[in-house]
Amino acid sequence: MRSRAALVSAVGLTALMIFSLVVRAQNAPPARPGGTAPQAQGGSSKVADLTGDWAPDQKRGGIGQSLSLSDIGGRRRGQEDDIPYQPWAQKKTISEKSSTGPDQGFAQTTDPQVLYCEPPGVPHIYLWPIKTKLVQTPEAVYILHELGPYFRVVWLNSKHPEDPDPQWWGHSIGWYENDNTLVVDTIGFNDKTWLDQVGHPHTEQLHLTERYRRVDKTTMELDMTIDDPGAYTKPWNARRNFTLSTTGFLRYQQICSVRENQRFFDNLAKPAIAK
Amino acid sequence: MNSHRKRHLGILVAVAIGFLVAIPVRAHHGAAGLYDMSKPVMMKGTITKFEWTNPHNQIYFDVKDDKGTVAHWIVATEPPQVMLERGWTRRSLKEGDQVTVYAFVAANGSPVGNLQRIVLPDGKELSAR
Repeated sequence: MRSRAALVSAVGLTALMIFSLVVRAQNAPPARPGGTAPQAQGGSSKVADLTGDWAPDQKRGGIGQSLSLSDIGGRRRGQEDDIPYQPWAQKKTISEKSSTGPDQGFAQTTDPQVLYCEPPGVPHIYLWPIKTKLVQTPEAVYILHELGPYFRVVWLNSKHPEDPDPQWWGHSIGWYENDNTLVVDTIGFNDKTWLDQVGHPHTEQLHLTERYRRVDKTTMELDMTIDDPGAYTKPWNARRNFTLSTTGFLRYQQICSVRENQRFFDNLAKPAIAK
Repeated sequence: MNSHRKRHLGILVAVAIGFLVAIPVRAHHGAAGLYDMSKPVMMKGTITKFEWTNPHNQIYFDVKDDKGTVAHWIVATEPPQVMLERGWTRRSLKEGDQVTVYAFVAANGSPVGNLQRIVLPDGKELSAR
């Protein structure tokens, strides 16, 4: 069974890479001069080795509820000291109904991912109890998620389109720094996702910078800068911590099926909320 | 399908999907709302079906009371992707197994709940947490 799963994974990954090459040929701008080798910056020519399956570090914050570094549990939604809201964004955050966390509303949630089975986007996906795999090639880094399963393509040696179409996962380019860090620069988001589980909003002006840094053999840190002049008065920071997992990637496909959800609701939720 | 029925179905689906997201993350922060999470209830029963599926595994079992009346219970666990990490497989339970179930159950008395742990016929215990 494991070998069959591995075969499926290998076939899927190959298809993904072929697909992304086709997409690149159709949509991506020309590569920068300098060939196809990963381009390191910051005074180093070494490519950070981020290979592996990365699970949320339960000893260092876990998945949390909020991106706020001062309120990971999401208990002070809208009142966090480290989130420089514009007034409308603060008001909107307070008005949202989470599906999880200390003030969750089971049937009243306004989380678009929950309501419509939409992609969580990034960084929201890092608040899910799932693993992430990074696959590094000379041309791109493929970030694979167990949820969905969704994936992102981070184009190396490339640049953003002049006028990217707003999309769920935006348009990502990347480069290496300081021997141990992959920097991912993403623009071109739509405004349909929440940044986290408690409803921090963003606009199409969101510019997300992610720095994936391998601290040691089994530890990876992700520092993020959320720069969205449409929703916040200045850039602010967030962090996720990961540990290396060796239990296997995507052993079961965590797919959102309306039919399966309906069956679960009928069997286990509906009886429990009946008056 | 008229608009009222469509709207009704839409709400049901939305709530169901909400539960999909709610349970996995809740596991880290304590469940709330649907089930009484203050203490698990112990039940001895017989497995009738084990569904290994998204958004949550479903364990069906029958519990017979002193008068011989049978109650049909269903309890949920996290989805397969999470339970694999905890040592479960789709063959962990099979029809006919005599088991002892510890579950957080619905506050309204309905025979549904969330599994805490289960003891198999050979005495082996599987934790759902």
